[in-house]
Amino acid sequence: MRDAYVVGAGQTAFGSFPEESYRSLFATAFDRAMAAADGLGPADIDEAVVGTLGVGGRQLGLSAPAVTEHVGLSVPTTRVENACAASGYAVRNAVQAVKSGMADVVLAGGYEVMTDASGDATKYWLGVSGETEWERLTGTTFAGTYAQMASAYFDEYDADVDDLSRAAVKNHANGAQNPHAQLGFECSLEDASDAATVADPLTLYHCCPTSDGAAAVLVASEEVAESMDAARVAGVGAGSDRVGLFERDTYTSIPASERAADAAYEMADCGPDEIDLAEVHDCFAIAELLAYEDLGFCEPGEAPELLREGVTDADGDLPVNVSGGLKSKGHPIGATGAGQIAELWKQLTGNAGDRQVEGVERGLAHNVGGSGGAAVVTILEGEA
Amino acid sequence: MRLAGVGAYAPRFRLSGDAVADALGRFRARGVDSVAVPDADEDALTMAAEAGERALDAAGVEVDEIDALYLASTTLPYDEEAGAGRLGSLLDLGEATRSAQFGGSTDAGGEALAAALDGDDHALVVASDAPRGAFDEAIGHAAGAGAAAIVVAPDGPGRIAGRSAATTTYPGTRFRERGDSETTGLGVTSYDRQAYRETVASAVDGLDAPENADAAALHAPDGDLPYRAAGALGVETDAVTEGIVARRLGDTGAASALLGLAGALDDGAEDVLVATYGSGGAAHAFRVRAERDVPVDAALSGDRTLDFAAARRRAGAFDSGTPEGGGAYVSVPSFRRTLAQRHRLVAGECVACGSLCFPAEGACTDCGAREGYDDAPLSRRGIVEASTTISQGGAPPEFVPQQARAGEYASAIVAFEGPDGGRASVPLQVVLAGESTPEIGDEVVAVPRLLYEQEGVRRYGLKGVPATENRR
Repeated sequence: MRDAYVVGAGQTAFGSFPEESYRSLFATAFDRAMAAADGLGPADIDEAVVGTLGVGGRQLGLSAPAVTEHVGLSVPTTRVENACAASGYAVRNAVQAVKSGMADVVLAGGYEVMTDASGDATKYWLGVSGETEWERLTGTTFAGTYAQMASAYFDEYDADVDDLSRAAVKNHANGAQNPHAQLGFECSLEDASDAATVADPLTLYHCCPTSDGAAAVLVASEEVAESMDAARVAGVGAGSDRVGLFERDTYTSIPASERAADAAYEMADCGPDEIDLAEVHDCFAIAELLAYEDLGFCEPGEAPELLREGVTDADGDLPVNVSGGLKSKGHPIGATGAGQIAELWKQLTGNAGDRQVEGVERGLAHNVGGSGGAAVVTILEGEA
Repeated sequence: MRLAGVGAYAPRFRLSGDAVADALGRFRARGVDSVAVPDADEDALTMAAEAGERALDAAGVEVDEIDALYLASTTLPYDEEAGAGRLGSLLDLGEATRSAQFGGSTDAGGEALAAALDGDDHALVVASDAPRGAFDEAIGHAAGAGAAAIVVAPDGPGRIAGRSAATTTYPGTRFRERGDSETTGLGVTSYDRQAYRETVASAVDGLDAPENADAAALHAPDGDLPYRAAGALGVETDAVTEGIVARRLGDTGAASALLGLAGALDDGAEDVLVATYGSGGAAHAFRVRAERDVPVDAALSGDRTLDFAAARRRAGAFDSGTPEGGGAYVSVPSFRRTLAQRHRLVAGECVACGSLCFPAEGACTDCGAREGYDDAPLSRRGIVEASTTISQGGAPPEFVPQQARAGEYASAIVAFEGPDGGRASVPLQVVLAGESTPEIGDEVVAVPRLLYEQEGVRRYGLKGVPATENRR
């Protein structure tokens, strides 16, 4: 199979935008991606894949064409939906289309509008991404499921609330450098650990916000990518698992992430020690710790040590979530995965502005659906 | 027919008469020190299941031996719906078990027991009530909650030495209008007393030498009326003391006299006069002789004291209901499909590899085979594997009313043992965990509770209670 490249990417700011529609948000991300892909025009796009869960709790039957026709595209368009991993999978589908030779340029993106419904309605809606018949009917939310993982992690390893807070403090510090971040302010360890409890042991600072936003990524063949700011898709892997945490063998790992990472590393012919920078799915702080271990950045139980020693700080040996992550940058469900790829593309092509990390040759994006029912890992390579 | 075992259950929360007096300026329930207050997820049906389980355990009778279920209550969740069906499912009685339901007046407990004694080889009689009344009336002040259950069988240590019934006509003493949730009455004290005394005495007259009973378990809408009737019945007030629970639990409606029987037998009484009564009026009288100890499993103690506001909060006084919304909806038909798991913790043993799976559907979580499952009911005691506490404001919409009434709750994954070993993990809400999240490794007991109500349909299932809390 031939190679695939990310040749341009863009996103809106993530946050609350009552004046914007899901179409206008997507159009902004699309325009930015097109502007980044110098030399490419809308007419060059062969196909589009769009990730979204819904719009303010509404389900739309043709949500992908609804946004692509809005930007003037009449190409084949498909919606993919794997909860919070929707657009990570959209990028994977785009890569498959290019690598197979069925398309030369594919638009992959996602959008979400989450802030135009009441908090109660949003909670109702978000429940569809969890295990609805069993976990939810014990009164458990997403935060609750991740909190259960944290409880098991604390029981199994040497970790406590402050270790969760360290992930939040780091990501807020990073997000403060990102003009697109929803919560672009810094916080202290005390702020994070002493904040109101959402689901014990998770505090408010250990939980990502609800967000509006869109992201778009252009995936193209090597022929198209020549002479463009391009990052090669070295590897992409995906995995799925039982939607309910209680049905899994482990509560201190997300096996779908491990499967996705294994496949991505194999395709990229590299190991976790060869990753220079990562954007990982930190919807809740414990998720970032689990990601370190599931992605092979450290052994099980050692994630707190990476945070304590600053390994994953922006200036550490393995910067993680320099964008601010879901915690600070925001988490508009359908846009999150594509947004991670956009950040990698910027970092690998030197377009990351003030938060540019020097010497990044290989970056990894890790996008999880729900509490681990699906996951996708993408590895991009650029020129350091 | 005989009594093989007795079970009793009352919520552990108590509201004292003093607390009501502090809040309202007076407490009008005579002879009542405190009333039992149902938790936010308890009602007459869940209490009936608790009492029923205890009676079966006490009697040592397996559920498949029970031929008939007789349910008595004036406060089942629905004016129209066979509550015995849901109770039978919670108790795993099986679809072949006949059922009958008695209501209409607090004499229903006596009617149910009489019906059971008339028929079947093995029957389970359950009386459960949680009456409500306006808080400016004595009925409201006295309103308590509790359930009693009796296994009736051809053999058993409790002999029915006599039984009788009477019906009189006393309109207006106590009634609940159609569609109303609160019981009321005219409050004509002498008339009410006369109705009670005359009706109960008429029933007791049919028994031999009631004065010889060493305990008199009399229907008790409060803690005073049974004493006032003692003389007319020919029993000593000391005997009434042995058979009255209204002082601790308040008015337990149709369960009142049978709870008194449970208490008296538990205290070692050998000759118990039981008299049920309902306004209108009707009464049933029974003479129970314990030829040897009648096994009783009663959980009637109260270990959580509420102030007036907290008690009213649990009853829903400050609950604004389920928020509007959509998504993540589990339909009633979908819910019903899983009643074996929700009501009885039925897991599946994979035909291919023998692993336990919960719920037993789809591919085996262990070997991936899709060859099917054999039913494997899990034990009711399990060990917490992961847990959290859902803070106030963080509950899914279906659980917002519960949280408004009872505050934050714990949600856990609990491992239960299978019938032949092995374990299956089950997500379970844990109630009564106190202020802290249950620790991993803690033992919990699965008990029947109301999960949530949607579209007016209550969904019942199991929740966990810390094992230490279950031992009352």
